[in-house]
Amino acid sequence: MKRLAVGVLVVALLALAVYPMLGTGYGTRSVLQIFMWIALAGSWNIISGLTGYVSFGHVAFFGAGAYTAGILIASSGWSWPLAALAGGVAAAVLALGIGVPCLRLKGPYFAIAMLGLNEVLRALVSYFEGLTGGGNGLSLPTLDATVPVYYAMGLTAVAVTVGARLIIGSRFGLRLMTIREDEVAAEALGIPTFRHKLLAFLLSAIGPGIAGALTARDQGYIEPLSVFPLATTITMIVMTLFGGKGTVWGPVLGAAVLFVAQELVWARYPYVHPLLFGAIIVAVVLVMPRGVLGLFQSKYRLPRTI
Amino acid sequence: MIDVHKHFGGVRAVNGVSFTLDRGRIYGLIGPNGSGKTTLFNCITGLERLDAGRVLLEGRRVEGLRPWQIARRGVGRTFQVIRVFPELTALENLLVVTTGPHAVAQARARELLAFVKLEGLAGEYAGNLSYGQQKLVEFVRMLMRDPSLILLDEPAAGVNRTLLNDLLDAVRRLREQGKTVLLVEHDMKVVMGLCETVFVLDHGEKIAEGPPGVIQSDERVIEAYFGR
Repeated sequence: MKRLAVGVLVVALLALAVYPMLGTGYGTRSVLQIFMWIALAGSWNIISGLTGYVSFGHVAFFGAGAYTAGILIASSGWSWPLAALAGGVAAAVLALGIGVPCLRLKGPYFAIAMLGLNEVLRALVSYFEGLTGGGNGLSLPTLDATVPVYYAMGLTAVAVTVGARLIIGSRFGLRLMTIREDEVAAEALGIPTFRHKLLAFLLSAIGPGIAGALTARDQGYIEPLSVFPLATTITMIVMTLFGGKGTVWGPVLGAAVLFVAQELVWARYPYVHPLLFGAIIVAVVLVMPRGVLGLFQSKYRLPRTI
Repeated sequence: MIDVHKHFGGVRAVNGVSFTLDRGRIYGLIGPNGSGKTTLFNCITGLERLDAGRVLLEGRRVEGLRPWQIARRGVGRTFQVIRVFPELTALENLLVVTTGPHAVAQARARELLAFVKLEGLAGEYAGNLSYGQQKLVEFVRMLMRDPSLILLDEPAAGVNRTLLNDLLDAVRRLREQGKTVLLVEHDMKVVMGLCETVFVLDHGEKIAEGPPGVIQSDERVIEAYFGR
């Protein structure tokens, strides 16, 4: 069984690796988008799926990465791969600065604080026109980098998923779950919960930072509204909940299935596609609060590293 | 050595309670509902901050430290309401407590589960265990760090006779290992059978201290429980 799973995984990765040479431009861009959603949902899962601290402003790290890379590329002439790494670092630094005050808040208060953070960042980016172009946006030098960005985004998605596998399979991961299950009990047992939350938060910011930077390069133009939309946070949350929060493959499954579903519905019924997402949220909460993989996990007693 | 003041608004939940615990003995803490027993536990373990007073552990002050720091100084506790991690297995509930080599933690966790005859349920989610089994998981989980002071909040509540006897045996064995135990309990049979010294709280103040036999006939204690 395990061999089969590894075999399927290797074949899938190889197929994705050769896809840009065989597929259409539309197809390549679509898979690139799926990679991005895997990186975003998988990262959100680390802080919110494991510790239960729901981040309602996770797109802030995406936007921070996008603007960091955008400015470095446009103003300082950095190469985009280096700028993408810088985007990841910037997001992690931001997470550290935000996490220290906000992770002391409990439950809903943390969610609201994160929502506020995203709005503040968007306002700041709009305000500092000299650096960011303000509301007019920031244009990057023209460069057709879709295929290299495809690989870079794919690598980011793989790295986030491998990272999640390592964390969830470790005692560090279990300790993050104790925070979700009962933070007071965890503290009383000698687990420094704040440090654990902060590290998880920091790790969960890196993927979105890099993904934001790569998206900035790919699209060649960013503006506050396009890289800080609340809808992006909602989408990564829904994808993770659908696939199964706290699992390794849940966010991957959620990202792939919901992205494809969204594209299909959007192409045919452009006006009802927000309805579809709303319906999925309601259905998931009612029918399978632990998501598709969470359901399988408890039903068939699968290991939690699924 | 403990000397604690804790107020909630105008309520003096714990008002100048002080006592000393000697190593390797079992102490009982009794008192009517709302007399401040659990609050006192929370003050010792750092879940509540003291308004005044201090808590000394082997001569070192621990009040003001974070709960996890106090736990690492050797204080373990259980809760009045069970607080296992329901979506972790029984084994994982224990594994999360310690750092250090995985194999060592595994061995210690399995040994402790065997200590309370739960080795067969190691892989079961704690949330699926019975009330009594969860209580045992919580009890041995607290032992993972090998605490020197153990605080038990109503260990006998909701536990059947057989299980209770197992639990009490376990507590006695811990005393033989030189551990100090302080337990809050309403079941007087348990308190009288187990504790060498009993403290009685009423309205946040210590009204009596002594061997169980003496306490039982203390006028102030009878008054606190039954009224004048």
